Amino acid sequence: MKDLNKLYYILCMLVLLLTANVAFGSTLKVCKTCDYTSVKQAVKQAKPGETVLIENGVYQEYGIEITKPLTILGRNNPVIDGNYKGQIFTVLSDNVTIEGLTIKNIATSYRHDDAAIRVVERSNVRILNNTILNTFFGIYLQYSDNCVVKGNVVTGKDVTGLNESALGNAIHLWYCDNVAISNNKVKGHRDGIYLEFVKDSEVKNNLSQHNLRYGLHFMFSDRNVYTHNIFRQNGAGVAVMYTRDIRMEHNTFENNWGAAAYGLLLKDITNSVIHNNTFRRNTTGIYMESSNRLDIQRNNFDHNGWAVRLLSSCSDDVFKWNNFTGNSFDVSTNGDSKLNHFENNYWDKYSGYDLNKDRIGDVPYRPVSLYSMLVERVPPSVMFMRSFMVDMLDNIEKVLPSFIPENLVDEQPLMSKIDHDNDRKLAQILR
Amino acid sequence: MKSIKLYLCSLSMALMVLSGCAVEPQTIPYGQANCAHCNMTVADNRYGAEMVNDKGKPYFFDSAECLIAYVNEQPEQGEKAAYLLVSDFTKPGELIAARNAAFLQAKALPSPMGMYLTAVADNAAATQMQQEYGGRLLTWEEAAQAVRNNERPE
Repeated sequence: MKDLNKLYYILCMLVLLLTANVAFGSTLKVCKTCDYTSVKQAVKQAKPGETVLIENGVYQEYGIEITKPLTILGRNNPVIDGNYKGQIFTVLSDNVTIEGLTIKNIATSYRHDDAAIRVVERSNVRILNNTILNTFFGIYLQYSDNCVVKGNVVTGKDVTGLNESALGNAIHLWYCDNVAISNNKVKGHRDGIYLEFVKDSEVKNNLSQHNLRYGLHFMFSDRNVYTHNIFRQNGAGVAVMYTRDIRMEHNTFENNWGAAAYGLLLKDITNSVIHNNTFRRNTTGIYMESSNRLDIQRNNFDHNGWAVRLLSSCSDDVFKWNNFTGNSFDVSTNGDSKLNHFENNYWDKYSGYDLNKDRIGDVPYRPVSLYSMLVERVPPSVMFMRSFMVDMLDNIEKVLPSFIPENLVDEQPLMSKIDHDNDRKLAQILR
Repeated sequence: MKSIKLYLCSLSMALMVLSGCAVEPQTIPYGQANCAHCNMTVADNRYGAEMVNDKGKPYFFDSAECLIAYVNEQPEQGEKAAYLLVSDFTKPGELIAARNAAFLQAKALPSPMGMYLTAVADNAAATQMQQEYGGRLLTWEEAAQAVRNNERPE
């Protein structure tokens, strides 16, 4: 009897699902020879829950307002050309999906932050696999929750040599919660991905490069996670500012070069985690100011000018199991930042020994060199880098420390580089 | 003859070097400079601000609120500064005296550092913008007060 009931239930559900499909699943086609030749027209006529299927072709349209739950689906790569006249899609309804379109040509305006796709005060909006070219702002979400931005390619201008600010951001979030931004490729904007007043969101697997300012930028945005992203050749890789509870893991920050460039800029952030990242060839790997209670573990700092610039306004930060290789300066500070803790890092400049063969150096390592303190106070003195006098000063200071912060020291430096992928055993032993 | 040429050349060079020390506003190198207060790259020419101290050294800021926060924290720097400048929102890239500027604080106009402060040269333009965007109009002193108290529009 029970089984029969179950069967009945399943049958009912099936019928319901099928009829639902009939009721909500109908499709309006848009193409040169279809019932609808314009996207705007089709969007206007569609009933809530229907799909607007756009076939191959170029559509010269802008100002398309979506005011009901719809799926806008591109097939065979249709192109919507805004002709620099205004915003193309404005989403003013919950449960909207925009997928598979090429959207291009939005005018730069300093009075309107026009975007290819803008979502205003809505939730459950999905923006998937679109190509967005030559726009001011690419995707702009304001006061919108539970949205997904996935697999889009957003390409702006070539910013090489450009120092003006006529650029918007590729993906811009303002007052949004629970947004997932993943697998996007963004370049040629002011910021690649910008989160202002955004909470509980995830930024994953994105490639952000050649942006004028930052690859990824957090302002007043707590409890967010970003992992497995690549930030390459931006003005600076990532800036996290006035924020707490951020997880930053498995990201690559590389080739962020320039006088004002950083791999990662931390300003007034607390209670955050920086694990398993790679900082390669940045002017400064991590620049930290007024940042407290950070857990910085298992990162690779390779061939940076400065691996870490730890300003004296920082405290209670822990550096463990990081590799420091090929950096001009490992750690520099502008004062006595003794409130931070270094332990079990690998430093290629370490010249100590390990007599008891426990893979931990027997003498402590002081990562701040006298010269790096000099450069921090008198920047032009950087021109004496690698000169005989500087090497001599540094070596004397190493033997008889008198200027470098006494307590900024790794008491147990590792003798060999940690392979973060394979050396789990070592990490376990050390733990 | 040759020596005269050399002399003139070196004189003009010396003049150029000297003029570099003059106490005057500098163009903000957008995208190249970091904000002296928050360290962010100065990138938006509608909002960039600048302080030139009495010796002619320029400090760049990414927003009026950063300039204000800087002089709030170091009042003596602000008092003896030769120039305090903010960008005119209606003419991007143009710098105006901060003390004479009108500040519109409106929810609809997000400025780089979350204080919603937009500077405009004259009151007429500011009033017109207020009609369009809403919000309230502030003087330099009132804006400084708003930043000190962290007052944001609701």
